[in-house]
Amino acid sequence: MPQPILERSPILELRGVDKIFGDFAAVERVDLSIAEGEFFTIVGPSGSGKTTLIRMLVGMDAPTRGEILLRGQRINETPANKRPFCMVFQSLALFPHMTVGENVAYSLKCRGIGKKERRERATECLALAHLPASYYDRAVTKCSGGEKQRVALARALAYDPEVLFFDEPLSALDYRLRKTLEKELKDIQRETGKTFIYITHSLEEAMVMSDRIGVMRDGRLAQVGSPREVYDRPRTRFVSEFFGEVNAFPVTAKDGRLWCEPLAMAFDPPPDAPAGFKSGALIVRPEHLHFDPAAAEPIRGEVFNEYLLGSRVQYQVRAGGTTLLVEGMGGQPPATREVALSFSPADSLLFAE
Amino acid sequence: MTDLSETLPASAASARPSEAPARPAWRPSTGLLCALPMLLLLGLGFLAPLLIVAVYSFMPRGTFSLTSAPTFENYVDIVAQNFHISFLWSIWLALLTTVILMAVCWPLAVSIKKLSPSRALLLTVLIVAPLFVAENIRLQGWSLFLDRAGLLDGGLKATVGLSTGSLTANVPVVVFGMVYIYLPFMLFPMMLGLANVPPAALEAAQDLGASRWQQFRDIELPLAAPGLVIGALLVFVISLGAFSESKFLGKGVIVTVSEDIESAFTFGQNWPRGSALSVLVIVLAGAAAFFGLRRLDLDSMLGRK
Amino acid sequence: MERRSLADRLRSAWLWIVVVVLYLPLVAVGLASLSESRFFLFPIRKYSLKWYEESFASLQIRDALWTSVALAAVVGVIATVLAVFGALAYARHDWTGKGWYQQIVLAPIFFPQSVLGLALQLWFNTLGLDMTWHASVFAHLVWIAPIVTMVVAIQAYGYDASVEEAARDLGATRWMVFKDVTFPLLWPGVFSGLLFAVLLSWGNFPLSYFTSGADVTVPEWLYGKMIGGYTPMVPALGFLSVVAGGLVLAVGLAIQARLSRQP
Repeated sequence: MPQPILERSPILELRGVDKIFGDFAAVERVDLSIAEGEFFTIVGPSGSGKTTLIRMLVGMDAPTRGEILLRGQRINETPANKRPFCMVFQSLALFPHMTVGENVAYSLKCRGIGKKERRERATECLALAHLPASYYDRAVTKCSGGEKQRVALARALAYDPEVLFFDEPLSALDYRLRKTLEKELKDIQRETGKTFIYITHSLEEAMVMSDRIGVMRDGRLAQVGSPREVYDRPRTRFVSEFFGEVNAFPVTAKDGRLWCEPLAMAFDPPPDAPAGFKSGALIVRPEHLHFDPAAAEPIRGEVFNEYLLGSRVQYQVRAGGTTLLVEGMGGQPPATREVALSFSPADSLLFAE
Repeated sequence: MTDLSETLPASAASARPSEAPARPAWRPSTGLLCALPMLLLLGLGFLAPLLIVAVYSFMPRGTFSLTSAPTFENYVDIVAQNFHISFLWSIWLALLTTVILMAVCWPLAVSIKKLSPSRALLLTVLIVAPLFVAENIRLQGWSLFLDRAGLLDGGLKATVGLSTGSLTANVPVVVFGMVYIYLPFMLFPMMLGLANVPPAALEAAQDLGASRWQQFRDIELPLAAPGLVIGALLVFVISLGAFSESKFLGKGVIVTVSEDIESAFTFGQNWPRGSALSVLVIVLAGAAAFFGLRRLDLDSMLGRK
Repeated sequence: MERRSLADRLRSAWLWIVVVVLYLPLVAVGLASLSESRFFLFPIRKYSLKWYEESFASLQIRDALWTSVALAAVVGVIATVLAVFGALAYARHDWTGKGWYQQIVLAPIFFPQSVLGLALQLWFNTLGLDMTWHASVFAHLVWIAPIVTMVVAIQAYGYDASVEEAARDLGATRWMVFKDVTFPLLWPGVFSGLLFAVLLSWGNFPLSYFTSGADVTVPEWLYGKMIGGYTPMVPALGFLSVVAGGLVLAVGLAIQARLSRQP
């Protein structure tokens, strides 16, 4: 069993970091501590400030306020070529006029390492990224999308950085290749023991690879935690909705229960409901809504659409003027179009507004 | 349903998507049709005149027709009568202009690339605009600026009591004039070349530990090289034909080959000699342009999608 | 604001210095045209507009202006028409011989103009043609049409060629595709090309000098006076020519900006 993440010493720390462009705050008051050897993913919609954040960490932008610490040492003023970090760019930024090997060995060349050793070390890194040594002399422009991805990874590994950064490098690839590379990336991280910081807008990608996830919104970190925590106990409605479509019932507190006006019925609050709750939204994920003809207090509705989502089936149910989403594993479709739905209060999330 | 005999040629045709599908065999391609007027113009207005010049260069001295027996005497005369000196001057000046302009324009191109699009456009317009003013006028302006009692000399005398005297009528001022006149021809190809350097590639190099110098030498320069080559060729070839600069700023301190060619056609009344000198210029310019441009992929340089 | 490095600051200072130097001689020409004395001495003792009055009164100068305007207008139109088709062949279509064509189009640009002018003079002479400004139209075209072709070609490279295939697929003839799809999409480049052609022709000296015969353009008239003996009418007419070119450029850019704003 590896040591729990938070007990390890932090390698990178951000303290009150702001980045302001004109009168727009791209990143605002970010505090974050990343542990040695961790796979940390920053997730957020486009424009949430995640790229700006990573550029400050790598040293391509300077923070307007706040401090960035590497093992306790302030590195705000250290330029990118002096930080022990390396980035895999979204565009990959491979040097088009060089071969695969020259790309991978470039950082070694910059450090004045001899030709023979360069070739040896670059070949090792190619192997680590699952590329055969025969690719060394191939033109980088002749490589396929997935191969380019691996070259970029090998190039970053050859630099032997303490922290590797990834700026959505997989977003341009097709689904299957992306899935393969996600797993390989996780394996490489485990093998090398290096700290990986990854940014993506795909929560699915984040869930697969990360030790911890930081969800960003409007330049702030909305929540930081393990994938389980973030999924099961989202701290805001935004985080809960970021994981995909959800059912949101507008509710008000009434006699210790939650009254939902559009459905004209009451629900039991979740066990950890915030004290003094007045009104807000009760969130239930589609997979937590069940067809339940025997329910004591069912939500009554009518199925009007169903979609096959691979192994699962999603139903759209019209109830009290709203549309509800129900997901099942298939197999037990409702017998009639008129259905009764229920959920366990423990599976619901309550957010005040 | 198509049968097999039709499938093969159809798939071969679809490999070239921009050709009109299934046109009758006897019709010329759209590309050739579009090129035809331009080819006609350049055939009649460029290739034919050059051919005539070449033929004249083999006619005996002082003839004005093309009917005599060919001879090499004009080429022999060039060396015998020291006309090669002006030719060498022109090559030297053109080389000097090219090298100086590379150094002058590189920082310009780099800083224009860093400007916002609207500011870059403004600067581009500011730099293009003087191209539309006849070079005579601009050189006359420099002459008014640099001569004795001109803007510089007179201005200094009136303000601080210093005198520069006349700064014209020397070789450096000729080179200055050429650098001034041909600057846009180096700058714009260079900007085109620099546009082919993705900013992320430079950042990646920096991230991998490359110093400023290493970034310049390993990434920026090789990726921008096609634009640099085009700019250098353009400046070299065009400035090979320069003559206004030596006339108006050099005030006759040197004679360029174009001046010799012109006087052979006018005062000298020796068309074959002028032609022979022209042929030397044409061969040199043509060779430089041909070997330089052959290696470049113009399609991708100009941004083919 | 971003911190800017010293190198960046030096570079941008250099940029502005160069721009100022580019315009220095034009300032000198403007000042010289305003000096009353027959010979230019700085600082100017007495300012006057009399050289402009004399220039406007001169029949020679009126003729030169008329010749230059006619030349620029005719060259502008013909060069642009040639260049639109030339650019399509250059950038848009794949055809056998395209590689050669691309080299041939570039050749006149990569060529000393004075030598080209002389070669054309010799060629017209051999053909027994009269040399007037009509001959200069042809001479200008040889140099300007390729340049405009490059300007339009950049636009042609930039657009998605599949729209033409879509139009053809919807039943448009070759001509309709050109008229309804290709040309409207190329138009911004075509307009820049026209502007370039007019202005380059307006400012050209070497090609006119060798081919216009007895007709005289503004740059030729200036050259004649500069060789034959200075008169303040040289800077006066020179500056007028600069202002005229500047006006055409400004109006052209304003139209261009409006065009590109409309969808």
